[in-house]
Amino acid sequence: MSKELKNIADNIMDQIHEEKIKMRPKAYFIAGSILTFVGLVSSVVVSVFLVGLIRFSLRTHGPMASYRFDQILSSFPWWAPVLAIVGLVVGIWLLRKYDFSFKVNFKIVIIGFILAVIVGGWFIDSVGLNDVLIRRGPMQGMMRQYMQDNNIQGGQGGGQRWDKNFEK
Amino acid sequence: MSETLKLTDEEIVEKVRSNDRDLYAVIIERYKNKLLRYAANLVYDNDKASHIVQDSLVKAYINLNGFNTKKKFSSWIYRIVHNEAMNAVKKSKKEVPILDDFDFESEQDITKEFEQKETAIHVEKCLKSIPLIYSEPLSLYYLDEKSYEEISDILRIPMGTVAIRMSRAKKLMKHICQKN
Repeated sequence: MSKELKNIADNIMDQIHEEKIKMRPKAYFIAGSILTFVGLVSSVVVSVFLVGLIRFSLRTHGPMASYRFDQILSSFPWWAPVLAIVGLVVGIWLLRKYDFSFKVNFKIVIIGFILAVIVGGWFIDSVGLNDVLIRRGPMQGMMRQYMQDNNIQGGQGGGQRWDKNFEK
Repeated sequence: MSETLKLTDEEIVEKVRSNDRDLYAVIIERYKNKLLRYAANLVYDNDKASHIVQDSLVKAYINLNGFNTKKKFSSWIYRIVHNEAMNAVKKSKKEVPILDDFDFESEQDITKEFEQKETAIHVEKCLKSIPLIYSEPLSLYYLDEKSYEEISDILRIPMGTVAIRMSRAKKLMKHICQKN
């Protein structure tokens, strides 16, 4: 055993001296942290936006839900919940990489994260932030395509609008 | 050299990072025995354990710039060994199954016995016969003298879970080891 231990020390120091093993630069770890953070924020933003879209899509079909059920099924953006779930899973996975995450009950973190996304989606839909996203946000192409496909008009004018006034 | 020996792990790491690579030998000297015993308790094989320790120390050196010197180096290096050992265990599937519905009895006797140094060898033997999720915190606490907080950092589990596993581990030790 002691011979093995001696070998361990010698082997490693030899590899270091011969530069067979090198320290990764600090920039590598800084970039990793930044990318993780950006990924986490993006997954939250995408999930919140898509939850807002799902809520909007359900609302645009108006009253008499049973009569319009077929319509909902045919025009509902099914990719949105799928992407929202993917966003949530990626977000939770990234969250696990943070140092604090193991110190709190992870079930609570997951439930809190999902609730925050749902409440966030509901909130941006309620205050009409979706309208701003349609006109200026990064998702405008996606939203316009969805609205065109389903004959929904955004902003001012007739048809169905994606803001709280539509509900009145 | 004697000056160097007075430095903390974290201070040595700072020096290694700022181009004094030879000081990494001090880190290796400080940890190799402890890590080897820890790894051997996880994989039950001395050869594998020494490979694990070597790989872990290499990995630690490569990622040394990612270590936060405000935290404890010992927890960090033990965590790396833990990960390496778990990969080895998964490969060989040698882990003892987890017994969730075990019939526990009083833990009084075994706790008392545990605290006596002369039983260390017997205890180490017994550790091998209880599931890894219980033997690992126990071995870190009694053999490596880690605090609950350090065990929590190494195993990445909340402190409450450490306490629960410790308590269950003691009961299992009593149940299994007092028979022998």
